[in-house]
Amino acid sequence: MIRDKEHHVLVIGGGIAGIQVSLDLAEMGFFVHMVEKLPSIGGKMAQLDKTFPTNDCAI
Amino acid sequence: MDVGRHPKIELLAYSEVERVDGTVGAFDVTIRKKARYVDESKCTGCGACAEKCPTRVPDPYNEGLGERKAIYRYFAQGIPSTYTIDPDACRHLAGLRAEKEGADKSKIKKCGVCAKICQAKAIDYSQQDQIIHRQVEAIVLAVGYEVLKPEGITEYGYGRVPNVVTAIEFERLLSASGPTAGHLYRPADFVGKKKMPEHLPHAKRLAFIQCVGSRDGRRSIHCSGFCCMHSIKEAIIAKEHDSELDAWIFGMDIRAVGKGFEEYRLKAEQIGVKFVRSRVAEITKGPNGLPIVWYEDTRARRVYSREFDIVVLASACLPPKDAPLLAEKFGIELDSFGFIKTRPFAPFDTTREGIFVCGCARGPADIPESVAQASSAAARVAQVVLQEARKVAMQ
Repeated sequence: MIRDKEHHVLVIGGGIAGIQVSLDLAEMGFFVHMVEKLPSIGGKMAQLDKTFPTNDCAI
Repeated sequence: MDVGRHPKIELLAYSEVERVDGTVGAFDVTIRKKARYVDESKCTGCGACAEKCPTRVPDPYNEGLGERKAIYRYFAQGIPSTYTIDPDACRHLAGLRAEKEGADKSKIKKCGVCAKICQAKAIDYSQQDQIIHRQVEAIVLAVGYEVLKPEGITEYGYGRVPNVVTAIEFERLLSASGPTAGHLYRPADFVGKKKMPEHLPHAKRLAFIQCVGSRDGRRSIHCSGFCCMHSIKEAIIAKEHDSELDAWIFGMDIRAVGKGFEEYRLKAEQIGVKFVRSRVAEITKGPNGLPIVWYEDTRARRVYSREFDIVVLASACLPPKDAPLLAEKFGIELDSFGFIKTRPFAPFDTTREGIFVCGCARGPADIPESVAQASSAAARVAQVVLQEARKVAMQ
């Protein structure tokens, strides 16, 4: 889809929404710069024990 | 995981945006990369430094229910796996600061254990914040939300009555990677103790209080959306730990809206989770030092009180704490709730062209919805960026 030049986008936040939007854009061919204020990504979801509805581990 | 490895993603962790100049198609973003005092290119994430570090501080990842060292990794599987020194907690950095300010040298205490132990020579106490620039064509804000700390709701006794916790604190209590290694102990039995005491009793009676700070005319009128489901999930997981355990959910109604959600609620009912239609009036400290929940069962039309081991408050989903500052930096507007403003027919566009938003930053959303929103926002970014590029090419 993107052939002529590389397009750069910035994503702010490395939680579940930020991770998904970054992966989607990167898969489309965009170059993504992701900024996260904490030392590592994962956001609130990484604090959850398990997630509904399958009770799978959040990480 | 894939984010750290993806060739088309540059991960700038421990960083914050300072300012945004330009317009759609040509933004210039100034980013502050905070000093970790650890060289990212050298640190192997082995953890020898944290093992030897003598300074303990409450661990924010475990919501203060556990402790971490002054040199730390935010959580074990975190990406990047680089360690970080907390400049407010580290003795050595405090010593260096005091030295700089000209304090009496004999009184300055320095440590430096982590630098001595690190085989990769990754510790760098002289590291400074770095200011970097990135030229981008569009920006997505996925800055999340703030969980209400319910101290202000004094009738629920959070911070005053022992063993009253928020739902995210309870998640850490349930988690195998949490402070109790997955044993459901009452927090008052171990928090603040130097060592985890042995032979602690397991919590047997749990109360989940819904709409703490949400759907409340005195506070936030909005429904936080995901709390009904996370309370049901936490009750089910707790019962999986211990089927004898009693779990009560107190709420005005259960909003199980979504595919499979109602079935999940029914499953909870079948395994013995009790649902009480009520609005809890007060939580007090009982004679055994345990929380007592005072409530009216609106079906029985009677007021009851009942003792529990742990009371879990489903506290509200609020806009990010720094939302007003963020709005100023990015030149965008907030809505009447304080979340990032969007339009009904452009649900992922902010009020500034080329800046988009998804997830809880635009209002409460559960995990599947946040994921769906993120994919929608990605499509919207692609549309706008390519349109802009075409406009430029035509000129």
